[in-house]
Amino acid sequence: MDDSDSAAAANHDIERVVIVGGGTAGWMAGAALSRFLNNGRRQIHLVESDAIGTIGVGEATIPPILAFNALLDLNENEFLRETQGTIKLAIEFVNWGRQGDRYFHPFGVYGQDLHGISFHQLWLRERGRGDPGPISDYCLSALAAADGRFARPSRESRAPLPEMKYAFHFDASLYAKYLRGRAERQGLQRHEGRIVQVHRDPESGDVTAVELESGERIAGDLFIDCSGFRALLIGETLGVGYEDWSRWLPVDRAIPVPTPNVGPPDPFTRSTAHGAGWQWRIPLQHRTGNGHVYCSEFIGDDEAEHVLRANLEAEPFADPRVIRFTTGRRKQSWSHNVVCLGLSSGFLEPLESTSIHLVQNGIQRLLALFPDRKISPLERDEYNRGMKDLYEDIRDFIILHYKATQRDDTPFWRYVRDMPIPETLERKIGLWKLHGRLFREGFELFGPVSWIAVMLGQNILPDRHDPIADTLDEGKVAMAMTEMRERYRAAAAALPKHEEFLRAAGAWAAGDVRPQAAAAR
Amino acid sequence: MRDDLIRKVVIVGGGTSGWMAAAALAKILGAMPGLSIELVESEAIGTVGVGEATVPPIVLFNSMLGLDEMEFMRETHATYKLGIEFVDWARIGHRYCHPFGSYGLDMLGIDFLHHWLKGRELGDTSAFDEYSIATMAANANKFFPPTPEQPKSPLAKLAYAYQFDAGLYARYLRRYAEQRGVGRIEGRIVEVEQHPESGFITALRLDNGKRVEGELFIDCSGFRSLLLGQTLGVPFVDWSKWLPNDRAVAIPCKLGPDRKPITRSTARSSGWQWNIPLQHRVGNGHVYCSAYISDDEATEVLLANLEAEPLASPNQLRFLAGHRAKAWDKNVVALGLAGGFLEPLESTSIHLVQTGIARLMTLFPTRDFGEREIERYNRETVQQYVDIRDFLVLHYCATERDDSEYWNYCRNIEPPEGLAEKLAMYRSSGRVFGDQKELFTETSWEAVLIGQGIAPGGYHPVADLLPDDETLRRLASIRGTIAQTVAQMPTQEQFLESNGGAIDPAMRMFA
Repeated sequence: MDDSDSAAAANHDIERVVIVGGGTAGWMAGAALSRFLNNGRRQIHLVESDAIGTIGVGEATIPPILAFNALLDLNENEFLRETQGTIKLAIEFVNWGRQGDRYFHPFGVYGQDLHGISFHQLWLRERGRGDPGPISDYCLSALAAADGRFARPSRESRAPLPEMKYAFHFDASLYAKYLRGRAERQGLQRHEGRIVQVHRDPESGDVTAVELESGERIAGDLFIDCSGFRALLIGETLGVGYEDWSRWLPVDRAIPVPTPNVGPPDPFTRSTAHGAGWQWRIPLQHRTGNGHVYCSEFIGDDEAEHVLRANLEAEPFADPRVIRFTTGRRKQSWSHNVVCLGLSSGFLEPLESTSIHLVQNGIQRLLALFPDRKISPLERDEYNRGMKDLYEDIRDFIILHYKATQRDDTPFWRYVRDMPIPETLERKIGLWKLHGRLFREGFELFGPVSWIAVMLGQNILPDRHDPIADTLDEGKVAMAMTEMRERYRAAAAALPKHEEFLRAAGAWAAGDVRPQAAAAR
Repeated sequence: MRDDLIRKVVIVGGGTSGWMAAAALAKILGAMPGLSIELVESEAIGTVGVGEATVPPIVLFNSMLGLDEMEFMRETHATYKLGIEFVDWARIGHRYCHPFGSYGLDMLGIDFLHHWLKGRELGDTSAFDEYSIATMAANANKFFPPTPEQPKSPLAKLAYAYQFDAGLYARYLRRYAEQRGVGRIEGRIVEVEQHPESGFITALRLDNGKRVEGELFIDCSGFRSLLLGQTLGVPFVDWSKWLPNDRAVAIPCKLGPDRKPITRSTARSSGWQWNIPLQHRVGNGHVYCSAYISDDEATEVLLANLEAEPLASPNQLRFLAGHRAKAWDKNVVALGLAGGFLEPLESTSIHLVQTGIARLMTLFPTRDFGEREIERYNRETVQQYVDIRDFLVLHYCATERDDSEYWNYCRNIEPPEGLAEKLAMYRSSGRVFGDQKELFTETSWEAVLIGQGIAPGGYHPVADLLPDDETLRRLASIRGTIAQTVAQMPTQEQFLESNGGAIDPAMRMFA
């Protein structure tokens, strides 16, 4: 490259990034961008209005959140205190395969592979001739979750503790507030006000500025649409369409409601299937988040609220409100000079706690492909392709939970059990049913452990284990498995109780007082 | 136990692929109840002995078999390989290295390349090669194995492969496989029996009257593709429009003074020539396109460019770039040349055999032969061929050479779709994206792109978070550490000698 080229390149730098919306997605983007893109010349702006409420999606997360927090250089104990956070080791699914069934989808691994043969194959084989017990007996995260225990694995931890992966439950509004503080210290400029108009370049169609009620115009080179379901820039302004996935994921409403804790918080999320949907239970330090996600075609709002109330552990703090949504994704996450994050980019029900991950992944992908003012279609296409793959991978994994059911007690369950599914998922289930084989495609978010957990948890067993597993001596395998099981049991029993751990680590928010009523919104 | 396990595997052909398959199956499936493995070959049929140079995953294959590295080095007269040196590819007189392992040090979460690109804009003139420990060691004829347990040492960034005599490797693995129960059957196959309804292969008839039955057949019959191509009629997908070379002439010669642990590829006016130094000789070959040069001329070019006197007469080969539409059909899996061919420019032939075996182990069938598994095997195999093809075509697209009709043709080949996207992305922003399963990672793409002079349009904005003087300071420090480390490494000869991997000196004289 000669000198004139590089001088020209410098002139094309993005100088102003404008984030529209200050919910969880907006402040996650604000904190990350103000940390990584602040080169002294570039400005990061965020526009939000106190008059507009936020959804505060996804209080439960998955393990990659640790990487995001590390990227922002957050201290984990401080973060837990600030957000009333708790540890999450697994999701417990109740009544999904059949009424009365329960299983864990744990973070971490199942057992140890022997001679290159996956542990679950050994377990399947052993199951054919003896009683190896449930597969969760070979998973430290599942055992610790079941017994309400946790200790933070570190680089020095002895086996098998490093096998335990974890994520967090937290109050998403507190997380946004916490990140706002950091973003503003990193130089982000916040603007208060409702946007009344969006200005576009008449030739290119790019967004040039957003105008507030006050008349103030905030101009930018790149806009991040975090305006929630409204999708102000990507949808309303640019007209990018929405791909509807409700034929596969028909639930379309949710009623969230907080309740006081009735005991120390469990280190896992619970999802309980009901007649026309399911209910979450997310224990935080100061309260428990609950919500009923359901399909309005099969149940009315009043009845859904009734089901929710009948399944709470305590009287709710607040009155329930109904949130409506359509499962699917924005056809392009990046169009012109607008990148959308969070609910403006799509919605997948929180069954596997992926909402915050989708935001985080979008931010990291944007940093990896950060454009200049010319905005190369190549980089934009790469971004869109990556987001599409991620959405579709998660979609398939969520559909699996519905498809792999034996329930036939309501029209809802009969519908999801019999519905046609995407070809990609069909293939995956087909390979599993033959010889229990699972493959992670490309950068798929959920790996074999997750798929195994749900398949086995919902009673989908392969016709046969991997024939290669037959090369191992049965007696030796059985002995090795007995040893493993004992080791995991002992390791789990040696861990401190979850709440004790949080308090000892200095991650507990408010001493001994549970600030219950104060947390009600 | 269910009675659906495969009881008999028959490998057809005893070249490099055949014996690699036999050794791996014996190791992995040896203890499968009731399973026997047989290999049919004929001494009357020669083998091609493709690919004497390899890529780093071969180290895993050998260690999966449990081979002692030094014994393997002695038995196959092997040398270490730290990369490939490309001479005259970008233009005549130019050279660069595609090293194994990675460049420099990733900083601020972004690839080292971007820091180097920024340094260049700031006036730093150091070559990209100076940040590869593999390249620097190879140029100094140094070798020492990687030290992943010391992540801060540049040696942690080193990876290596081998250069060996493929005929000796096959012989070595034959011993290994036979010791582990693989039965070898001598004879030429004269008839293949198929099930009248399913078309599955049931048995082979040999010229000596023997009949060999099997449930799973592994076709390692070379270019002939006896079972997959000839018997089952699986068509060949021709890629010669992207990779027009269709002939090679090979010849071994004595060792010259040049002993670098590296494979060399020198571009010629209608193809390219390989130089692969082993412990006892150098392998040479000229790969060319018959539309632009005659066989005689090609042989002349080869003989005129040997570093020492030849040890045999030239050996001619014909081929077509491409692959069988399905590597696995019914109960036949093809490995090696029976499944496809890509010129050895990036030493991938043996790797394709190895991954074919690994994939077969991962998807090993029962007697039901589930369609989903076969479909997956084929999908992954094709993807791997495509990935390698794209990387090979890059070498031909990214050239300034216009000194022959051949290069004028190659330079203007329209790249396949995936390659075109990668090139465009790199040209616009210096970013190289690999998919997780691609054999050639970002490092390899960067080596060839930078090496062959394709300029990126910019570097990652995050590189600017380092102050300019800090970028320059760190570049100098990385270069310096690599140079110091290389200075302390032993030469390849010293390393082999002191670890017991060197062959008997008398063998080096042997023709």
